[in-house]
Amino acid sequence: MIQHFPILSIMSLFLGSFLIVIFGGKNRFIRNSLAVLFSAIPLVLICCLIKPILIDGEIFSYWMGDWEPVSGFAIGIGLEVDALSLFFALLVVLTIFLAAVFSLKYMSRDDALDKYYTLFLMLGGGVLGLVLSGDLFNMYIMVEILTFASVALTAFRNWGKGSLEAAFKYLVVGSIGSAFILTGVILIYAQVHTLSLAQISALLATEGLTPATIFGFALLFAGYATKAYIVPFHPVAADAYMTAPSSISMVFSGMVNKAGIYGMIRLVYMVFQAMSQSAMQYIIVILGCLTMFIGVTMALSQHDFKRLLAFHSISQIGYVLTAVGLATALGISGGLYHALNHTLFKGLLFLCAGAVFYSVGSTDLDKLGGLAKKMPQTTIIFLIGAFSISGLPPFNGFMSKWMIYQAAYEKAALEGSFFYALVTIVGLLVSVLTLASFIKVTQSVFFGQLAPGCEKAKEVPFSMRWPMWLMAILCVLTGLFPGFVNRYLVVPASAAAIDTTGYIDAMMGAGYGQQLGLSPETALSLEYELTGYWDPIAWLVLFVVLLAGLMISLGLGKASRGPVRRPVPADPKYDTFFGGEASQHSHVGGSDLFWGLKHNLRHYFRFMHSMHSGVVNDYALWTVAGTAVIILFMILFL
Amino acid sequence: MIIANYIGAVLLMFLGLYTIIMKKHLIKIVMGMCLMDYGVNLLIVSIGFNPGGTAPIFTISELDPGAFFVDPVPQALTLTSIVIGACVMAMALSIVIKIKQKYKTLDAGRIRRLNG
Repeated sequence: MIQHFPILSIMSLFLGSFLIVIFGGKNRFIRNSLAVLFSAIPLVLICCLIKPILIDGEIFSYWMGDWEPVSGFAIGIGLEVDALSLFFALLVVLTIFLAAVFSLKYMSRDDALDKYYTLFLMLGGGVLGLVLSGDLFNMYIMVEILTFASVALTAFRNWGKGSLEAAFKYLVVGSIGSAFILTGVILIYAQVHTLSLAQISALLATEGLTPATIFGFALLFAGYATKAYIVPFHPVAADAYMTAPSSISMVFSGMVNKAGIYGMIRLVYMVFQAMSQSAMQYIIVILGCLTMFIGVTMALSQHDFKRLLAFHSISQIGYVLTAVGLATALGISGGLYHALNHTLFKGLLFLCAGAVFYSVGSTDLDKLGGLAKKMPQTTIIFLIGAFSISGLPPFNGFMSKWMIYQAAYEKAALEGSFFYALVTIVGLLVSVLTLASFIKVTQSVFFGQLAPGCEKAKEVPFSMRWPMWLMAILCVLTGLFPGFVNRYLVVPASAAAIDTTGYIDAMMGAGYGQQLGLSPETALSLEYELTGYWDPIAWLVLFVVLLAGLMISLGLGKASRGPVRRPVPADPKYDTFFGGEASQHSHVGGSDLFWGLKHNLRHYFRFMHSMHSGVVNDYALWTVAGTAVIILFMILFL
Repeated sequence: MIIANYIGAVLLMFLGLYTIIMKKHLIKIVMGMCLMDYGVNLLIVSIGFNPGGTAPIFTISELDPGAFFVDPVPQALTLTSIVIGACVMAMALSIVIKIKQKYKTLDAGRIRRLNG
């Protein structure tokens, strides 16, 4: 029975979406219960698979309609669930379930909700189908389903500012990416005459990469990179995350870009086995570093809560990609750990933005302020998310970033290369900038003076709060018990990512790889230990002590602080700081906390602003140009 | 003969990409997406084609190892891809209608409220 669970979990999401079309139109209760029920079923089914796959190390293969391979040739469509697939599937089902629960109240003021839940479950089914699939073309179909559903959901609140144009841009760039994926699939098919991932992997390993396969591979890589929104492909993601309802933004950043990352990991490690080549490592690390740096600097200059979070989401995906591109055991583990953490803290932050929007009706940083008094629980939850994303110990972001820095540094030491040392520095710098920009958001949304228009804000209802609390608790737990998470989730998944032979044999029958002359050993060993493997509990104690000290000093200082009433002159804040006589009276808004940095780097920021012009043709041009560069690089150096 | 198909497919894809990148009119951009799709579909069918092969329709008893037929898998893939393409076009055009109602223009250069 248990081998049917993967397909049943995919089917239940699609079945739920069809049932909502039929029965969900009239009655609110039926619609909501169908949505929650059919997003809870996959959660249960996938959780049942944890024991056999992650702990016992089995690999499930499942041929649809029992079309098993005939004389060593895959003729059916297969599902294959190894630890890597299951790792991403767990993220997907958790995100889908929590977002469905959050939507119940959050979306209750919109109409046409049966369409919303239909598309929502379809999106979940698409991503789940992608990560569990063992067939190259099936992956393409799922990519199309998820793109289609995401575009429709981006445009769902079409009364909002810019949601229609965001949807259109997303559709154009998304379908260029999908066309690249399809072309890549068919070029690979023309070479090996099969679509099963396992068989392609075995055949390519024996035959070696020809120019045609490399071209197809580059197209597939660029296509999945479009779905993961890494840098030349990212502007549409910022628009889509910003304009979609918050529950959908959470789904986008929690699992849709994970689908792209999953596709890239699966392709480069398993299907093409290209990660042993240093050129491949270089291009992935360069793309990752560009993604994290450009993402975070764009975030610094944003004035919209959700758009800022969107750029941070892009930036954090850069960490995952960089770590995965290092191709060391520690690197893959750090990358996957960060992918898990990204789902948790980014989903949490988007839900907080949704909660603010629900009670105030705006996400413009200039219009928000002082919400900590009105929404204390949301503030605490947001702070947990912000600490996690900025990598403060003992929250989970610290753990994964620590692993990533260490992996990059280790790689630099191993190869004696200056480039990888630079990667570590970029990682640290981006982390600092992330913290800086979250200080800005926290200050301008939750602290400071109560902004006009926020007086009537209330704490959000319980059904919205408990998914947020659950994710916040998970953020703290994954930070406090990294050994546990590593042992049961991350290390099995990283081992599965590099265990090509096991993957091929599970799908095509034992000994298939050896028949073709593949050696059974894997390329990397997962033996590593963390230098300075730290004790999170001690950090927690330190954190609590510091927090208590801060509270006490704030409490003591309050009485002596008198009101400052001095005339404020025009705006001398951009004056050079020599004496600073005039500028001390200048008023700096909470959303403009880093005006000095922005002023000094104004040429860079102006250039980046002109790159993100908002014209769909430009975004299509970046996509095509990025793909062309990737193809050129791979054909020249692979 | 088949080489003409490949050239045509690549040409269609490039024309589609050119239209998407260079044309400012939203309907033309949608047409560019269509062109790109058709190019990919033509490529898929051409890859499955064997010169001189028969149609891939057999019963179990008729199928012998010497049978020579065109590859049926790419044809199935093309059908799927055509269906998806049609859905994407319908979706794109419906969004264009909504954009026209809201922005009163179809010029991509003026539909840029989200930037920076």
